[in-house]
Amino acid sequence: MTDLAFLGIADAAEMIRARKLSPVEYTQALLDRTARLDNRYHAYIRLTPDIATAAARQAESEIVAGRWKGPLHGIPFALKDIIDAAGLPTTAHSKVLIDNVAAADAPVAARLKAVGGIMMGKLATHEFAIGGPSFDLPWPPAVNPWGGRHFPGGSSSGSGVALAAGMVPAALGTDTGGSVRNPASMCGITGLKPTYGRVSRRGVLPLAYSLDHVGPMTRTVRDNALLLQVLAGHDPEDPGSADVAVPDYSADLDRGVKGLKLGLVRHFYTADMQAHPEQAQAIERAAEILRELGAEVREIRLEPLEDYAACTRLIIRCEAYAIHRRWLAERPGDYGELARQRILDGAAVSAADYIDALRMRARLTRRTLEAFAGIDAGLTVSNMDPTFPIEDAEASLRAYPRQARQPFNVTGQPAIAIPAGFTKDGLPLSLQLIGHPFQEAMVYRIAQAYERATAWTERHPPGL
Amino acid sequence: MDKDRAEEIATAEGLTKLDEKQLAQLTQSVASARELAGKLPKDLHWSEEIALVFRLPTPEDTGR
Repeated sequence: MTDLAFLGIADAAEMIRARKLSPVEYTQALLDRTARLDNRYHAYIRLTPDIATAAARQAESEIVAGRWKGPLHGIPFALKDIIDAAGLPTTAHSKVLIDNVAAADAPVAARLKAVGGIMMGKLATHEFAIGGPSFDLPWPPAVNPWGGRHFPGGSSSGSGVALAAGMVPAALGTDTGGSVRNPASMCGITGLKPTYGRVSRRGVLPLAYSLDHVGPMTRTVRDNALLLQVLAGHDPEDPGSADVAVPDYSADLDRGVKGLKLGLVRHFYTADMQAHPEQAQAIERAAEILRELGAEVREIRLEPLEDYAACTRLIIRCEAYAIHRRWLAERPGDYGELARQRILDGAAVSAADYIDALRMRARLTRRTLEAFAGIDAGLTVSNMDPTFPIEDAEASLRAYPRQARQPFNVTGQPAIAIPAGFTKDGLPLSLQLIGHPFQEAMVYRIAQAYERATAWTERHPPGL
Repeated sequence: MDKDRAEEIATAEGLTKLDEKQLAQLTQSVASARELAGKLPKDLHWSEEIALVFRLPTPEDTGR
């Protein structure tokens, strides 16, 4: 019998279309599994079985009637709880918004529903996509199924956990300073931050307007491409949205990497920061594998990692504070300690420093894109370290800045985090691939070649 | 010193409901903001403009 828990979108879609898999049975199997497992992992803030079952019945009747809508028809998905779904609270995992019922679907949710996707519920997040892991909120933090009781990364923590635990094959996350790619890296799944403007952010609670992205999270690259295909497109009501044609993201997936030129950003993890040795080795080994597959891999230099980090932190703090200042004035005690600290930080930044951070961003972007001029894509680490016990507050604070994802929030380039092996203790390691603006298809092509050569995605957490 | 600055900010920003612990967080924010400001480039030329997100609709966008 097929293991429905770890069935991917592509395979499930084929079975559903051929009527070998019923969307109703598929949905029910995942609802049952979630009910059984989630008191341990806390991936969901709100599971919506009634909504899911009704949508699955509708999908099934459409498919039986010969009206198959495409690869997402009958496929369960879940939303990070800063993304609006009509009639449900969007809480941002915070007491501040505990009664904040959304009037309409965010366009990303509406797009998934329109192609027949089955909404399973709202997923845990770090509070307002910035705190966390926190134990002083109305809901517990999501827990990584890899390791004993480990940190899943964040802020799209529930999305990473639900995928890794086989509760759902597709989830949405958001990424302002790395929040799709961090849980992808720590939970051993696949997460893409698309180009800034590629996917609508309307109906998604902002963290920092100029750095926010919505991104697809899945277990495999092929599934990720299928999900982005539905999400990508211009939204004239999102001021950051780009009116750029959407290509077929699956068309070149299997073309391989022969002849491609890749830039290895080694200084990020050997000089600017020292990555955990097993993580650094995983990137070096990934570069070797891509060479063996026919790519030309050479080292490139970008700006120092701490420059991107300072730029990102200043912008996030100021924009987040501007969004939260009224709530902070009225209800400071309703925030968890971590989110309150990180958002309050913006109150102390001068307007001139914020403007200079935006000017610094333009400079960093120009120089980064110049360094990418002779290559098809870049590769480097996502996290410097593997995951750690979630209750270890010191490890959490230490790990928070030890990452190389922020550069591509600054530049807006597409970047994906994919599994790149495991530590000797069995914890996920990851690889980050970065493309030119709007060239997600190239990122997927390289990621797919690596995934096929390594098969890391075939491993699942022990006992699951 | 940072505590005085934090109290000034709290008053100016209307953050008057912060308790002692929350005010201590704001004091920490003052130190952190100073540290981050120190990492901004010192050689930004006036011609280096901000990275723009805001953009007015073009005639093509509006069909006029």
